[in-house]
Amino acid sequence: MPQRLQADTAMPDILDQLAGIQPDSALAELRARRADVTRYTQGSYDALLAPTDLAGVSRAERALIALRVAILNASPSLREHYRQQLAELNVPATTVEAVEHFPAGNGLTARETAILHHVDLLTNEPRAATPQEVETLQANGLSVRDIVTVAQLIAFMSFQVRTLVGLQLLAEAK
Amino acid sequence: MTTVQRSFTIDPVDWNAWLDTIDIAAATPEQIAVLEESTPTAKTSPYYLLLVHDVDALRERSRLFNAVMYGQKGLARADRELASVAVSRINGCVYCASVHAQRYAQLTKHPEVVQRIFDEGVDTALDARSRAIVDYCVKLTHAPNAMVAADLAPLRAVGLNDLEILDLTHVAAMFAWANRLLQTLGEPVHKEA
Repeated sequence: MPQRLQADTAMPDILDQLAGIQPDSALAELRARRADVTRYTQGSYDALLAPTDLAGVSRAERALIALRVAILNASPSLREHYRQQLAELNVPATTVEAVEHFPAGNGLTARETAILHHVDLLTNEPRAATPQEVETLQANGLSVRDIVTVAQLIAFMSFQVRTLVGLQLLAEAK
Repeated sequence: MTTVQRSFTIDPVDWNAWLDTIDIAAATPEQIAVLEESTPTAKTSPYYLLLVHDVDALRERSRLFNAVMYGQKGLARADRELASVAVSRINGCVYCASVHAQRYAQLTKHPEVVQRIFDEGVDTALDARSRAIVDYCVKLTHAPNAMVAADLAPLRAVGLNDLEILDLTHVAAMFAWANRLLQTLGEPVHKEA
């Protein structure tokens, strides 16, 4: 397969790790047939969770958003992945706990609270969104670019959750 | 005066952004390059002119979208469009549903299939292959983490192989993403004559 010639396609990505896909397995071979999908899935992850230019959304805020989507989708492996990322970013455990129990928890800033309300709406009921939500985010200091980034990240997470499930089902069936 | 398009339609629909789009005359060369590789109409599309505020995220997303929808072999193009329509119908994304219903109709010459999905919902009568594809989309859209390996059996029963199942997963997941952008950064509007 010509894709195999490119070194980066042989590198296990985050979904391989989370779905437990071994490098020489049939499923790894199957994913290699969609090397572009794998490459740009990882590229999207990198661009949204750990970009070179963060603009107005910190790495910690990005990881908090991702954790919240993992929780809402009851995805144990992604939840663990983003909890670990938050620990590496030295985010206080109290903040992580507040995200776990949102909106019941305490200790979040007004800005974090506004962002997490947005995460819950976009994840659970995107059809209910109105211009008011983006105005609320602007009132909490997010620029237009930041709001685009936050929406991309929340929506990407819906993609990541589902792609991981599909891979896990195929892995189980093997 | 624009009017919000609330009902599902196979007719073309426009989309208005709720936030300021970039001024194409003031765009960076990088932004222009990413718009040009995203889709032929991106430089006049409010959706792309809004997303390109975060140019790196859009570049990766557009490349991913094109790989998912147009990758060679694997799941038939019409089946990918059917899955896009089904997920968009479930999530309530009128804009995405319109675009991909038109593509489905072009590919299959059967606009009545997507019209029925619009009118009656995803439970409408479908041929066995389409039924299995749509059912998988329903499960993956509503409660992905409640799914089990046995949920792949109906797809295999209508002849889908692993590559086709992987493709279907990518398409359904891609529209979980796309629908959320189109529905929360702006709204579908009647197309101006």
